[in-house]
Amino acid sequence: MAAQATARIGVDVGGTFTDFVLHDPVRDLVATGKRLTTPDDPSEAIIAGTERLLQETGLSPADLHSIVHGTTLVTNTIIERTGATVGLFTTQGFRDQIEIGRETRYDLYDLFLEPAPTLVPRRRRLEIPERMDVHGTVLRPLDEAAVRVAAKRLVEDEGIEALAIAFMHAYLDGRHEVRTAEIVAEMYPDLPISLSSRVAPEIREFERTSTACANAYVQPLMRRYLAKLENSLKSMGVAGNLYVMLSGGGIASVQDAKEFPIRLIESGPAAGAMAASYLARQAGLDHVVSFDMGGTTAKMCLVENGAPDRKFDFEAGRVRRFQKGSGLPLKVSVVDMIEIGAGGGSIARVDEASGLMKVGPRSAGAKPGPICYGRGGTEPTVTDSDLVLGRLDPAYFLGGEMALDLAAVKTAVAGRLAPALGVDEDAAALGIRRIVDETMAAATRMHLAEKGRDPRRYTLIAFGGAGPVHAYDLARLLKMGRMVVPLGAGVASALGFLVAPPATDLVRSHVGRLERLDWAHVGRLLAEMAKEGRALLLQAGAKPEDIVAKPAADMRYVGQGFEIPVPLPSLAPGEADLPGIREAFRASYTERFGRALDELPIEALTWRIACSAPGRDIHLSGVANVKTEAFADAARARRGTRQVMFEGVGWQDCAVYDRYALAPGARFEGPALIEERESTCVIGPGATAEVDGFRNLVVTLP
Amino acid sequence: MGVATLTEFDPITLEISWSRLISIADEAATGLVRTAFSTIVRESNDYATVLMDRNGDSVSENTGGIASFSCILPRTTKTFLQRFPAETWQPGDCVITNDPWLATGHLPDFTAVSPIFYKGALVGFAGSISHSPDVGGALWSADCRELFEEGIRIPPSRLFRAGERQEQLVEILTANVRIPGPVMGDLEAQVVANEVAVRRVQEFLDDTGLPDLQGLSEALQERADRALRRAISEVPDGTYTATLEADGFDEAITRIVCTITVDGDSMVIDYAGTSPQVDRGINCVLNYTDAYSVYPIKCALDPFTPRNEGSYRAIRVTAPEGSILNPRFPAPCSARQLTGHLLAGVIYEALAPVLPDKVIAECGGAPTMRALFSGLNRDGDRFSQVLFASGGMGAAPHRDGLPTTAFPTNVGAGSIEAYESVAPLLVWHKQLRADSGGAGRFRGGLGQEAEIEVRTDAPVRLSLLSDRRDHPAKGLLGGLPGAPAVIEFDDGTRPHPKSRTGVKPGQRVKLLYPGGGGFGDPKARDRQAVLDDLADGYITAEAAARDYGVK
Repeated sequence: MAAQATARIGVDVGGTFTDFVLHDPVRDLVATGKRLTTPDDPSEAIIAGTERLLQETGLSPADLHSIVHGTTLVTNTIIERTGATVGLFTTQGFRDQIEIGRETRYDLYDLFLEPAPTLVPRRRRLEIPERMDVHGTVLRPLDEAAVRVAAKRLVEDEGIEALAIAFMHAYLDGRHEVRTAEIVAEMYPDLPISLSSRVAPEIREFERTSTACANAYVQPLMRRYLAKLENSLKSMGVAGNLYVMLSGGGIASVQDAKEFPIRLIESGPAAGAMAASYLARQAGLDHVVSFDMGGTTAKMCLVENGAPDRKFDFEAGRVRRFQKGSGLPLKVSVVDMIEIGAGGGSIARVDEASGLMKVGPRSAGAKPGPICYGRGGTEPTVTDSDLVLGRLDPAYFLGGEMALDLAAVKTAVAGRLAPALGVDEDAAALGIRRIVDETMAAATRMHLAEKGRDPRRYTLIAFGGAGPVHAYDLARLLKMGRMVVPLGAGVASALGFLVAPPATDLVRSHVGRLERLDWAHVGRLLAEMAKEGRALLLQAGAKPEDIVAKPAADMRYVGQGFEIPVPLPSLAPGEADLPGIREAFRASYTERFGRALDELPIEALTWRIACSAPGRDIHLSGVANVKTEAFADAARARRGTRQVMFEGVGWQDCAVYDRYALAPGARFEGPALIEERESTCVIGPGATAEVDGFRNLVVTLP
Repeated sequence: MGVATLTEFDPITLEISWSRLISIADEAATGLVRTAFSTIVRESNDYATVLMDRNGDSVSENTGGIASFSCILPRTTKTFLQRFPAETWQPGDCVITNDPWLATGHLPDFTAVSPIFYKGALVGFAGSISHSPDVGGALWSADCRELFEEGIRIPPSRLFRAGERQEQLVEILTANVRIPGPVMGDLEAQVVANEVAVRRVQEFLDDTGLPDLQGLSEALQERADRALRRAISEVPDGTYTATLEADGFDEAITRIVCTITVDGDSMVIDYAGTSPQVDRGINCVLNYTDAYSVYPIKCALDPFTPRNEGSYRAIRVTAPEGSILNPRFPAPCSARQLTGHLLAGVIYEALAPVLPDKVIAECGGAPTMRALFSGLNRDGDRFSQVLFASGGMGAAPHRDGLPTTAFPTNVGAGSIEAYESVAPLLVWHKQLRADSGGAGRFRGGLGQEAEIEVRTDAPVRLSLLSDRRDHPAKGLLGGLPGAPAVIEFDDGTRPHPKSRTGVKPGQRVKLLYPGGGGFGDPKARDRQAVLDDLADGYITAEAAARDYGVK
């Protein structure tokens, strides 16, 4: 039996659909599936979809090695405010910190802006007499009697379902939090408790408290859900392990997820970045920008040396989805991507005040959808413009399963949009595309510039339904020389679940100037984190000998307020490493900001360990389970010709190719359209395309 | 398509170009903030970046920062152009000043402007403003008698000439400040920010095929101007007035008289009748008066159109020379925000009768209340830390004011843990202040209170810059005022709210930040909202009964 258990399934529970991908390297099987998500109990769709996939591939539950699971449940619970009734204990004098927050207005001009959300109302935030100072010295001992009184009040009067505890300077020393939790657990053994010193042991009380509260907020739901899913899989006969995808792109055990469910906040989007990283490694590309464009958003992410960039803070549940500062700050490790309101469904309009055209962030979504879907949409969207410009085939959308109404779009553009802008209808339709592409280019430029990177050195890897349609123009605007589009680009992101490595990030804060640091203490912190990381990765299925721990520290010049990550030479750095650490800081600083300041002292605040084991390399030529004969001679894959509008050139005859019929070695020139079921790739005049050994489409821009 | 469309500037091309130029200004600003040594830049957003055409007219401005600074930068650039005519600029130049009358109203702000050359011709300017970590003089304080006590003043001067740093200027400057490293670090960050913008504008011109920014600049200004005029025309013609009083300095209470005349699509804001200038640092130069008058109007009438030179054309701001809103040189003006921040409140009060749905009540966070602690820590390092915290925002016509949020400025609060890690200070509490929001149909935002203990061996200097001790934030259309500011030592004594004083080791200072004014009659407040406020402790039972008649 054990020898057969080689199949792996990736499951992505999204808001609308639950997507599946199955891969069995021994049996050489690839299969994908899609079902409607079952919001009341998402495990229903997972079980049903898994059964179906096993049935289709002729496998039995015992053949499953593992299931890797990503979910939007955590993020949706926060957005929809459907989490638990949470109570919060803070240090005396600090219960309002989550409401006071950063005190800034995220929109400078909107007098009536909605404040960022607070998950725990004031009446359920109680203060406990206790206080530590910045050195971890106890200035005021923990009042244990007060803890008991407060716990009783929150549980019995306020009916809390989870408790968060966040004391001042607990990132240094969590003993007051731990003792408080012990007392509460004695009284209420089933109450889930989130400690700030465990969830996010980092300096800055608002962000740490906010993270602990968010963890508590989603914990009861996620515990129930994961337990139920495990049981259902067990009763189905699945012996393999269930893992989850973390926001940072690593996979972790279910046990870890139950304790720190907030780390799943960006579980779904992380998969896309991991898929792009895998494609980059496969294609041997060290400098990549991953570009995933769907119906409502576009996500861009820097992928260097086969791994996505990560960051250690995130904003969840934004009042305005794309507005920084309008959400809850969380200290969690996430793939560092920018997400903007630019997708196939983004709506074009004319701004009344300025008379200028705007596209997005408002989206027509799936309902009513773009005008061309014929489901009641009346405002032109990006997809509508792609259709009018000839980029999409009205008869071959979703492989022909859905006919698009070109005439309705033309009427809307010619009747309303073009006259309001004072341009002709071609210019109006092209304008939608130009604006959405320029918006994505600007966001990408800014994202790279913040890291001191020049887009011209990068290759664009495009996927998602709308990604390949817009990749060429995005690459052109960013002056990139090359783009790569995988086979099955519309569903490629699910691959990420199967290639993600077991990985976890650990963090502790200890503030000091480099020349005055207590290196023995730093060594202890790093060793403690490395040990903890190893244990988590073993749980997540890593082999002990494969585990790598990379130490780093967040540093800045004394007096600054923004830190940058700096790699450390070893797990036990000391005085002797100082010159090297200073040099590493200077190098990172110069890379980002274009200069360094020689004479000023440097301080470190936060210490990190990134623990990982190698990811799996899976050998398959895409996830499209379509059996079409493929040719190395592109002419044989040609499906016909269509007129497409290109900026600055006008309408052009454009060769149309069947993506599935293009075999490795096939070469052709732009302008061309390459169609597959879930997406169409557009390449412009002067570009050349070639299908590589992995059936990726590699496009060289003129 | 192509070049033909670009020169015509259709609404699509204009949108694309404007967005791109804004993102260039934003990119320049990002590095500036992240490398800033000045906590005031970081937490108080005291910075701006602006792209200008070759006349010095603003084409695009960064989206964060101090909105009102952006409208001053082009004026400063125009004075630079008078001193250094266009034909004398060279690539790699950077001209700076911190002259309050030419720039943003007090010495700590440095304006730095670099030319943008394209294909050998001067096509525009990139400018930045940043609050310096130090300018010598009397630290940041409100009680100086003359400008000369407040620090070093640099007239418009070249910090860089053709890429070469002018060491003489650097020596003069660094010889006059306490922390030369961070001061030069921040100034050079401004130069780097300008250079980023210069490079990006050159790339933009390459990409678009435009020879310069002039045509585009005019088209964009026209759009911004049109948008604001359109909004002003919806305000009924007429003259609207309001008067406001603030603590001022000792017996010299500040009285601001604001008269707004709306005529078609333009507006004049005049401050005739306002108090004369005083010999303390709360005088507000006309540039600052203008900026803080235009900003609240834009917020109320046309909040979502991006800004450039055109955004300021429809509004004219005047104040009598020699008044506290247009003082003569060398009036002290270091704490000019204590006066300038009040203008939004008086403008909204004047417009409330005709625009009751578009304005808010006075804010407790206007002006900002600052406590600056400085001295030596136990390692002998010098520290200088402002506690950033705000009062409550005024109530809006349809909802309560935001707690602890500043308007018209936009000040962030740093972490207390981080604050305690860089200064020998301990914050015993920082929490919302019950009953501080002015009662009303919609309640003013709550202020907060903080208590700070000095934990070092030597006394520490405390500089206070505050107002609203005697003049709390007023309510609007029947709303009641918020709670006033209180600053108190643990022995019960109260320091002068605009003074420099000493604090002994172990001594504690309590700072109570004011609440915002209420909007509308408190008796009309929804009963459930009162009960909720009571349950959450935003108001006390006493206040519920007294102000709302709810028991």
